[in-house]
Amino acid sequence: PVLNPVDLVFGRDNWYATAAGECGLIVRVFEGRAKKVEGNPDFPTNLGASDARAQALVQEVYHPDRIAQPLRLSGARGSGEYQNASWEDVLTELGNDVNGARGATLVITPPLSGPMGQVVNEFVQAVDAEHVTYEPEDRIVLREAVRRVFGTDTLPTLDLANTNFLVSFSADFLHTWISPVQFSRQYGEFRQGREDVRGTYWHVSSRMDGSAANADRWLPITPGTEGLVALAMAQVMVSEGLVDRAVAEQVYSGISLDQYAPDAVAETAGISAEQITELARRFAEGQPSVAIAGSLAAAHTNGLFNLTAVFALNYLVGSVGQEGGIILNPPPPFESDVPGPSSGLPYSDWSGVVNDLNSGRYQLVIVYGVDPVYGLPEALGLREALANAGKVVALSSFLDDTTLQADLILPVHTTLESWGLIAPDPGPGFQAVALQQPVVNPFVDSRAAGDILIEAATAAGASLPWPTYEDAVRAAVDSLRQLNRGNIDAPDAKQYFVMAQAQGGWWDTSETAESAPDAPETPTPAAQPEYAGDPGQFPLYLLPFPSNSLGYGETANLPWLQALPDPMTSAVWSSWVELNPTTADRLGVDTGDVVRLVTPRGSAEVPVYVNPAAHPDVAAVPMGQGHTDFGRYAKGRGINPLDLVEPATESETGALAWAGTRVRVETTGRKVRLPRFEGQVPAFQLEGAPIIEVIPSEH
Amino acid sequence: MSPRWGMVIDLDRCTGCQACVVACQAENNIPINTEAVYLQHRAIEWIRVERYWDGEYPNIKARYIPVPCMHCSEAPCEPVCPVYATYHTPEGINMQVYNRCIGTRYCAVNCHWHVRFFNFWEPKWPESLQNQLNPNVSVRSRGVMEKCTFCIQRINNAEQNARLDGGRPLRDGEVNTACAQACPTRAIVFGDLDDPESQVAQIANTTTRGYKVLAELGTNPSVLYLKKIDPEAPAHGGAESA
Repeated sequence: PVLNPVDLVFGRDNWYATAAGECGLIVRVFEGRAKKVEGNPDFPTNLGASDARAQALVQEVYHPDRIAQPLRLSGARGSGEYQNASWEDVLTELGNDVNGARGATLVITPPLSGPMGQVVNEFVQAVDAEHVTYEPEDRIVLREAVRRVFGTDTLPTLDLANTNFLVSFSADFLHTWISPVQFSRQYGEFRQGREDVRGTYWHVSSRMDGSAANADRWLPITPGTEGLVALAMAQVMVSEGLVDRAVAEQVYSGISLDQYAPDAVAETAGISAEQITELARRFAEGQPSVAIAGSLAAAHTNGLFNLTAVFALNYLVGSVGQEGGIILNPPPPFESDVPGPSSGLPYSDWSGVVNDLNSGRYQLVIVYGVDPVYGLPEALGLREALANAGKVVALSSFLDDTTLQADLILPVHTTLESWGLIAPDPGPGFQAVALQQPVVNPFVDSRAAGDILIEAATAAGASLPWPTYEDAVRAAVDSLRQLNRGNIDAPDAKQYFVMAQAQGGWWDTSETAESAPDAPETPTPAAQPEYAGDPGQFPLYLLPFPSNSLGYGETANLPWLQALPDPMTSAVWSSWVELNPTTADRLGVDTGDVVRLVTPRGSAEVPVYVNPAAHPDVAAVPMGQGHTDFGRYAKGRGINPLDLVEPATESETGALAWAGTRVRVETTGRKVRLPRFEGQVPAFQLEGAPIIEVIPSEH
Repeated sequence: MSPRWGMVIDLDRCTGCQACVVACQAENNIPINTEAVYLQHRAIEWIRVERYWDGEYPNIKARYIPVPCMHCSEAPCEPVCPVYATYHTPEGINMQVYNRCIGTRYCAVNCHWHVRFFNFWEPKWPESLQNQLNPNVSVRSRGVMEKCTFCIQRINNAEQNARLDGGRPLRDGEVNTACAQACPTRAIVFGDLDDPESQVAQIANTTTRGYKVLAELGTNPSVLYLKKIDPEAPAHGGAESA
């Protein structure tokens, strides 16, 4: 054969550092187009690693259904009928609206830290608006648990590279929970990074998720009993003298551990006393050991108890702030007027917002960066309430469920086109901020959300401290320079900023959290989970769960992520309900049979996936689908399980207990083909020559 | 001396997250696997993650294995191509020459790993999404076979740069495949198996866990897997299809 010379491609590559979420990124840009996302090898949270969601950021930029210019509603609200408008007109209009709605404006955003949070705060003050934030509700419970147990507002990270024994209570830390790339990177080291130790990992949960699938042992428990199992572990460790009783009494003050012997909780938890005892012994003897909890554990009415009871275990084995343990994060290095991490508004307070909307209190609602109409359950009635606002303005790139309720849509830059300064939460255990810079020019006629707010305030006769949002970012970077520490050494402000751009951020490995407390500051009383729906009528637990690639639905518009097989079922492009084979047999259904899920709140039809690892009492449905629009790849696909959820709240924080509803499964007689990866290629373990070889130990 | 490219995949690190799958699709201009494509059983994934069940509830495990092309030294797909479109490079890569391929699909039939994919349709992207396509990788037209190339465009690029740089040999780590670069647990390691200093060679030469999938066929794959460790592995034979 003839060897061809290397193919000639005209043009050259440029590589720019930026950031998204908790990761520092490097983006390949060729002829002005973003081509490929890689992890930034220098940025301390991910050290060059990335994940499917970061990879898919380029599809956000070039999405065919991205909103390309300002839009003004031309039909009824919610009709999706819009006509094009000019930036000049819409900004003037917004300025007038803001001016006319002083004291009657509501701003909805995610919890924002850094300069963007600062811009929103200044805007809200300048125009006399109110500000509420939305984030997934289990995150609110997690933040409160971390505040109570560790006394910090920042989320902690882990030092898995030095951990011997890890137990996760429902936290899908490798795929969806708070910082999966950071934890996955550590997990590789946890398993195979040391000569003499291979870390052992157990998982306790009511659904086998993508993390549990990797555990050395999985203990399937009754939903909502995570905290109970943790107390039983503590009881075993104390009664067998494995840990100091005085420490345990201080850590679990107000709870009489003797009531929670494994025998007493085993039946409720759905696992045996022996399993709990063995887990406790392994945890106590395998030091350094770590216990984490999240995701589904937080989404019950007793979510805060579940999380605090589990995180408190770390005090018993002395792994708080220690090598191989839970590493607390210091507050971000921002000046006092720049916000750090904060919680979203809990569900119970959203009811108040909805009441205010319905009473006509708000003449203007501005939504940026979140889709609460989709992310909060139908039962709240936010969609209907928005109809009672004088005017709804969405700063958005896509026609998501909230944007669909807007009178005015102002298209904003996507991640790869934006400025920003992000303090990852959780950070890497020391102070670090990622500098986000536009790696390409805006692909459509969009603006930075920060600039829109600054201009709207100016047009309304108020003034914000910066002419543009970029200036706010530059000012924040300059205040980092004045700290005179960290990774960047430059003679002047301009050079400093260029260095920060090139390195992808600022970090100071020596600036770690102050010493950890000895015990939780506020005790949390033990609590049982409560469920909406009578067990006789609704025999199964409905467990919605965050999707591996679509998360809580925020990335459902991206085709690569829609097409990415779910780690357990390999299903793609759809919703499904996971049922245990015995449960499916009893109902007479098989994979692909469409069933009706009936809860006290409503019903929906989805195909079944018979999952051999599903808990027999659980019907698990992924989150992320069921969008009204959100572009061609998401529109009309599957169901949003939150529409079936009875709005029970977590008893202490008021966050939505989205796993607190029971369900009945009815057959419909219909069958569909569930699109999935399974079966694309003939793949099966061969007798005598298995595809995956498994050995009990290295030697 | 020319390199011999190879890969090590540590199943004890892999978590089944599939960052590799999307990274590969982004790098190599793989058409979007639509719902219809999945229903036709024609999804194209140059690297895929297979999931196998092991055991029964409650003592059940799900196990993952990333499967790219094995780049066999004695590749069964190569001698059967009537037009020499399937070809082995001197650097050990099993390549597909798209403009020779006439779509007999014999190679795919002869591949035991099912890592060759036929383009039954002209690949389509909405016009705006075409801005993302990698200019260094051909978009394959209808009627030709495609497969993992170990990111040949990255190798070519690095070799070109090394030639311009005074003809020096490539340094270990100078070339990486998209899948290995993305992998958050560092389960995938790529490099020159003939360079004893390279990370991939050092793992391959020292590990006690290495095995090759379907090794008994004698095709000598260039992808070495490291066995999954499970201190409490249930007895084998119960695993079901992926």
